[in-house]
Amino acid sequence: MIMPKFEYRKADSVTAAIALFEGFKGQASYLAGGTDLVPRVKSRLAMPAAVIDLKGIEALKTISRQGGALVIGANTTLFELKNDETVKEYFPALLASLDATSCETLQMRGTIGGNLLQNTRCLFYNQSLAWRTARGLCFKMGGDVCNAAPGAKRCFSNYCSDNALSLLTLSASVAIAGPQGERKIKLEKLFSGKGKNPFTLLPGEILTGVHIPLKTSQGAYEKLRVRGSIDYPLVGAACSVLGGKGKIAVGGIGLEPLVYDLKDLAEATLKETADKAYQDAKPVANAVLTPAYRKKMVRVLAQRAISKTVQEGK
Amino acid sequence: MKTRKVTFEINGETCTSQVRPYETLLETLRERLDLTGAKEACGMGSCGACTVMIDGVPTRSCLVLTPEVEGSSITTVEGLAKGEELHPLQEAFMEKGAVQCGFCTSGMIMNAKGLLDRNPAPTRQDVIRTVSSNICRCTGYKKIVEAVQAAAKAPGKS
Repeated sequence: MIMPKFEYRKADSVTAAIALFEGFKGQASYLAGGTDLVPRVKSRLAMPAAVIDLKGIEALKTISRQGGALVIGANTTLFELKNDETVKEYFPALLASLDATSCETLQMRGTIGGNLLQNTRCLFYNQSLAWRTARGLCFKMGGDVCNAAPGAKRCFSNYCSDNALSLLTLSASVAIAGPQGERKIKLEKLFSGKGKNPFTLLPGEILTGVHIPLKTSQGAYEKLRVRGSIDYPLVGAACSVLGGKGKIAVGGIGLEPLVYDLKDLAEATLKETADKAYQDAKPVANAVLTPAYRKKMVRVLAQRAISKTVQEGK
Repeated sequence: MKTRKVTFEINGETCTSQVRPYETLLETLRERLDLTGAKEACGMGSCGACTVMIDGVPTRSCLVLTPEVEGSSITTVEGLAKGEELHPLQEAFMEKGAVQCGFCTSGMIMNAKGLLDRNPAPTRQDVIRTVSSNICRCTGYKKIVEAVQAAAKAPGKS
């Protein structure tokens, strides 16, 4: 597949990357592992004037314990994170979702920052330029229709990060640096709910790290996909439990994950939560399995994730 | 758009190439360096036919821009044999009949080399996990798995 033309720049610090971004008047994309960006550029879903390579920023490659949290630099690859002793010891849901992400070869390339910021996907969007143009522009391309659900008033593309789900159940936050300075937000606040730009990052902002409260948890991650060795989730469900309370996150359906608190681990609470997730999930015909099946699998996978987690805790 | 000079090591030799900033490593290897072992199939990172080693890590070269590998050391399937002597993985693929049309083979071998480098004694399940991330539409994988297992046990493997 032929690449469109763009410039290449490499940054050695976050400040330098932001300066480069501003130098290109915002018409640039940040590049980490490239496993999401490069296919998007090849399909002309992104047409940056330049890509700014962040892989040279050493400060974003570290994993450290700081003030009761595990701080993971955004450049850490999924494979490195999967083999981290602290992740293995404290965060089983994250370990499971990392292991379920794509295949190991791509885990060695893809980074945790890039995994969280992967763009949303849809059968009617992740197509060639000619295909999309023939079909007409949808909400995600800047138009005013949904090609997957005719008559719909909004975008129904799917956010497919496995690890966002487990990190949500672990109450993670993300650190962000940009032209206006640094900030830290709860991971829930990263999602805008809008198809064209699914994240709340402002132009030029870089996700620099992920902070997870360092507390031992039990957890699990369950995933529905067609090709077991590599695919994106068609439904994903993560569960983490600590101190008799927990969280469940369901994703792979719609623009942002659904997150639920478990106030206790009583049988009735768990069933009620899985039922609630089933009711809330609104899949449309924009993935390779039918919406009815994916909706059913929300409850099934949520229940599986819960029972695995509870079993493990006993 | 101006081309840029990129220097990297390829199969043990230093190489300087003048490339387009938006050129993929796969294009550079195949079209500038005549190393046509790595193949382009999907071009989107799904199939693994373009796998090469970058600093010892098996990587899909269709997803890498050549400027990204400045200063890196790259090994392609052409760099595995020592003169006339094939790498144990290459021997095993021939011995076990793990090659049919051959289009996936070089990517498959490079990914398997990645596995053997980090885990010299993989279980059958480890091998299946690794080769399943590369698409082969001929063999049904059985003979590929056998070949990788045989190579893992071969004397003098590297």
